[in-house]
Amino acid sequence: MNGPFIIFALLNVGFVLLISPLFMSLIKKVKARAQGRCGPGLFQTYYTIAKLLRKETVYSSASSWVMRVTPYVCLSMAVVAALFVPLLYVPEPVAGIGNVILFLYLLGIARFFMALSGLDAGSAFGGIGSSREMSLAAVIEPTSIVVLAALAVVARSLNFLEIARDSAGMLFPVSATMILIGVSLFIILIVETGRIPVDNPETHLELTMVHEAMVLEQSGRNLAMIEYAGAIKQTLLIAILVLVLMPFGLVTELSVAGVLFAMALFVVKGSVISVIIGLFESSMAKMRLFSLPNLFIIAFFFSVLTIFIEVFA
Amino acid sequence: MFAEIEALKPGTVPGLVRPGEISVRITPGDIVPFCRSAAERGFELVDLTCVEGFDREGRASLFYCMEKRGMPEVLTLVCTLEDESAPSVDCIFSSASWYERKIRDLFGVDFPDAFDRRRLVLHECYPEGFHPLRKSVPNRPFSPRTAIPPEEEYRFMPVEGKGVYQVPVGPVHAGIIEPGHFRFSVIGETVANLEVRMFYKHRGIEKLAEGKRPEECVAVAEAVSGDESVANALGFSLAVEKIAGIAVPDRAEYLRTIYAELERIHSHLGDLAGMLVDVAYPVGASRFTVLREEVFRLDRDLTGSRFMRGAVRIGGVGFDPSRDQIRGLSCFLSDVQERFRDPLKVVLASPTVIDRFATTGFVEPRFIRPLHLTGPTARSSGADCDVRRDHPYGAYADIAPPVRVLDAGDVLARFSLKASEVMDSLSMIRTCLEHLPDGPVIAEAEGGGVPDGYAYGMVESARGQNVHLVRVRDGRIDRYSVRTASFCNWQVIQHAVMGNIVADFPVINKSLNLSYAGTDL
Repeated sequence: MNGPFIIFALLNVGFVLLISPLFMSLIKKVKARAQGRCGPGLFQTYYTIAKLLRKETVYSSASSWVMRVTPYVCLSMAVVAALFVPLLYVPEPVAGIGNVILFLYLLGIARFFMALSGLDAGSAFGGIGSSREMSLAAVIEPTSIVVLAALAVVARSLNFLEIARDSAGMLFPVSATMILIGVSLFIILIVETGRIPVDNPETHLELTMVHEAMVLEQSGRNLAMIEYAGAIKQTLLIAILVLVLMPFGLVTELSVAGVLFAMALFVVKGSVISVIIGLFESSMAKMRLFSLPNLFIIAFFFSVLTIFIEVFA
Repeated sequence: MFAEIEALKPGTVPGLVRPGEISVRITPGDIVPFCRSAAERGFELVDLTCVEGFDREGRASLFYCMEKRGMPEVLTLVCTLEDESAPSVDCIFSSASWYERKIRDLFGVDFPDAFDRRRLVLHECYPEGFHPLRKSVPNRPFSPRTAIPPEEEYRFMPVEGKGVYQVPVGPVHAGIIEPGHFRFSVIGETVANLEVRMFYKHRGIEKLAEGKRPEECVAVAEAVSGDESVANALGFSLAVEKIAGIAVPDRAEYLRTIYAELERIHSHLGDLAGMLVDVAYPVGASRFTVLREEVFRLDRDLTGSRFMRGAVRIGGVGFDPSRDQIRGLSCFLSDVQERFRDPLKVVLASPTVIDRFATTGFVEPRFIRPLHLTGPTARSSGADCDVRRDHPYGAYADIAPPVRVLDAGDVLARFSLKASEVMDSLSMIRTCLEHLPDGPVIAEAEGGGVPDGYAYGMVESARGQNVHLVRVRDGRIDRYSVRTASFCNWQVIQHAVMGNIVADFPVINKSLNLSYAGTDL
């Protein structure tokens, strides 16, 4: 472990923790505007998390240790995953940090525990949510792997840090096929963050929920951690998209000015993608549950196409 | 019509209560044969209720109210029971099951051969033998049972099999809605069976009405279901006006029609928005929500109440709008029409919305007659029924509503039908305003109060046909029975969701727009 890497770790994780709630509120704001409402303030998610942290945690009498550890697992997996995607500064890769497959399975562990905790409280809604999440995951995971495989083929690396080092300082994506990958990654982003047309993060209708149904029994501090983990995951997926489509601004040499500039630039780039997400969500209704694989197939198709182009063209 | 009734059972002597209402006295032994031959001749059971002391003190009389498509009159079979039991007609009219269970709970009249004899309105917490609509039971709070023996607990229909599991939903729901329990039996995501349990907040409205003067009771009628207050006040007033022979001034008839159509507009706008919210398309929904709010404000400006409470009174209406208000209303209506049409076009051109709506929550036409479905639910499944045209009241005899009928029977059909009914209501109000007669808005009160008698008042609320039976005795309400459209329409949701997936239940429920309060009086 070397000095710059430790600085990278602190800087990257700290920055992700700091800005993740902002993008959450920003997307809500965009959606509210599209509906003709004012919407929440940009700092609302920070307030909500702070409020939840102060609230009492209630456990169902049917729940076991799964319910109690899940928030910690989710948050810690998200924080570890935050090491994998460089937002500001790119160090030399160390000991598998930044590995694409590992990144995917860190998220997979969180998802697994989340599904268990949905079942754990013994409520019917949690069970519905877990069962839906797991059936969808069976289709999402292979798709995600193919998408990241396509990314790896194009970038000639399985490591986000290496991909970032190669593209750092470039104004445009490395190759035109990256744009195809961008489409796939955007779909993965929508799917993984449970947004319309896959799931509706704002609904109160338990029977329609996927992700939210698993979280229904969580409260207080635990809920805050899960929400925070969700926000972090979203920022990381946005960051991957930024890495692929808008690589400019990442610094490879540590300097205060460079890092500050990269921070400002990432907030702008992240905001652009958040606005796009908000508008995308506002433009359509949720799909039928059983038609969702059709959406994943689009991502799958674009990725396979990318691999073909890269290999045969 | 008389020939039609004599054919039901030779030798029957129908009595004409008043134009539009025919009544036949039958004995308990005649109930089943009469109902069977009525059903065979195409009559539908509109309402079944009970009145105590109709012709003999302490005795219960059953009122079977029926109508036949294409006949302007309604037929009432009145049967005074010899003892506390009556034969069940639930195998002839499926809708009778809920009525009979309700009568059993509230009056203690037993239907020994009914296929479902569980409690309906009064849950287990009410003591055995407590029948609040009996005249001997005073109207005062009672203490519910807290310990319920296991054998008296409510039994849901058991659904068992490989992979079948139960999803209990409610009675307390997320969001601010009324209580109701939905017991889903699902196989994976697919609904194999749904059983609905209502009546968690029995308010005792019918008991409350008894002993009140008719004019006091309008407020009780308005409380039956919040967003049907004009329809229910109107239904009640129509019944009282029939008993008292009050002629409502023309101007009041037109104003009543305007209020009733405004109510239909805000109810339908709420449904359209709700259906879009339930498929997660809030951008489309918000345009309708905004319009709905503006209609509410207009209602408030016209009548002082967002739900137009106090607008309808016996003999007329409570408010006479000024010339300025009428001009303002006209301008508002044209504005609304424009602002309604555009978002509607966007929504109906959105493939994701259409995909969610089409083929979802199919209401099969074969349920319409047995369950007596009415309103947009029935009209979007091919039934050509509308009280406004079939039994005209208010100004509907002059300004006939264009009764639209769709055949698809799915959520999309109900959405499209309600959207076109909003447009129709807007133009009907405009016609009313153009032809609004001058004159008084309420009939001159005559001395002596309302004479004894009973009458039915039928109206088309936004949800369908509402039936009010009012009986006046010594100038006071002796019996007030309300059957809203939701009471019948609730039962079809159990069929409409079958084979759909659980995730589509909210939008199916919203498209049927069922009132909990209107069912649980």
